[in-house]
Amino acid sequence: MRRLPVIAASLAALCALAHGVEPGMAPVPGGGYRPLFRGEKDAKEIAVAPFLLDERPVTNGEFLTFVRANPKWRRSQVKRLFADERYLAHWGGDLDLGKADAAQPVTHVSWFAAKSFAAWRGKRLPTTAEWEFAAGSGFTNADGAQDAEFQKAIARWYATPSPDVLPAAGSGRANVFGIRDLHGLVWEWTSDFNSAIVTGDARGDTGLERSLFCGAGSLGAKDTANFPAFMRFGMRSSLKASYSVQNLGFRCAKDP
Amino acid sequence: MKFLLPILALHIATVLADDVPATKKDADLPPCCRTALAAGKPTDRSLYQLESTWTSDVGRKVKLSVLRGRPQILAMFFSNCEYACPILVNEMKKLEAALPKDVLAKVDFLLVSFDTRRDTPEALAAYRRKEHLATERWTLLRGENDDVRELAALLGINYAADSRGQFAHSNLITVLNAEGEIAFQQAGLQQDPAPLIAAIGKITNSAQH
Repeated sequence: MRRLPVIAASLAALCALAHGVEPGMAPVPGGGYRPLFRGEKDAKEIAVAPFLLDERPVTNGEFLTFVRANPKWRRSQVKRLFADERYLAHWGGDLDLGKADAAQPVTHVSWFAAKSFAAWRGKRLPTTAEWEFAAGSGFTNADGAQDAEFQKAIARWYATPSPDVLPAAGSGRANVFGIRDLHGLVWEWTSDFNSAIVTGDARGDTGLERSLFCGAGSLGAKDTANFPAFMRFGMRSSLKASYSVQNLGFRCAKDP
Repeated sequence: MKFLLPILALHIATVLADDVPATKKDADLPPCCRTALAAGKPTDRSLYQLESTWTSDVGRKVKLSVLRGRPQILAMFFSNCEYACPILVNEMKKLEAALPKDVLAKVDFLLVSFDTRRDTPEALAAYRRKEHLATERWTLLRGENDDVRELAALLGINYAADSRGQFAHSNLITVLNAEGEIAFQQAGLQQDPAPLIAAIGKITNSAQH
């Protein structure tokens, strides 16, 4: 009986090989993502094609390998246009992690740096729809909304301040696709983080604010209860691409 | 005659590479497509560090850095826009009309499309004709999805496509100085143009050209 998980894991590995999956990435089947905000005439769901997603966020150790190979992304050499003053601020130096642990998720990275890392690995950043679709899956149920334990775990994280010392990437519980830490560790960049259309922002109003913010009509009834999704939406809309902040990391995606 | 041939060949090669009729002089081309001004490495905050390639409405492929040397008044738009873009472009045209002659002689106008599918060079050329955008001052560019997303991110412009092929987007007019650094941004439509005009006056004063 003890052997069952081992066998299951081997089978999963075999399946992964058979599908040409990269190690450390999990296949996410396609499906529909319900965006939080949409125009009245827009479809309720955005179709998400099958894709591969990193099982855990990119770590300090992995990012160090990247900056070793790409000097222009070292702390002292990065151009201000592409990363603000806080870029890799938690490291000891250009090639020195300092007090940061190699296994912790890398943070203090700008969108440009994350994008460049992904391209270097032959990958890309996930779209917001892909990320949210993967993050909507529970521990035991592909529909996280139907997974009470998962809902409780998420609510706990979003209500708790970040710990001073981040746990290692990959230490969270896996969801049904085998992906960890989409909730509970750090916020994550998406390729189109700047597709969040908000109004009342100092950066200016938006073209379709009437249809986007026409009240309850523009929100799916199911979504109004999804408070963490609102938090992520708000977080993304407050970002600028050069921001390098604590608690914001990333993971990569890839087309199968 | 013998020594003229290589020169002629070189000339033809240049013309072929650029896709632009030989009869066109610099002055007949949009700002993006004239002979680039000499320049060293872009500054750390310059948008001209971008390596992405864009296509202008005259069909020429360029990097944004070709615009270096002259301040640019820049907005992102799409030509099929039913709501805000006509107002946004109209505001830029009003600005063009309002700028003093000496200032206007030193700046260019730049429109970059969100609509990678429909805004082909031909569609942009048609838009230029429809809107009577002066060739000597206005550059119209289209790019690939990732490059448009990146430029928008640099400018702080958020946008999303909806199911009808329209784009919801921030309305922002950006002034780039001669180095391609963001010098001023005006958010929102129907704003008082005075601060924008003042900012343009200030950077054209300090510009070398």
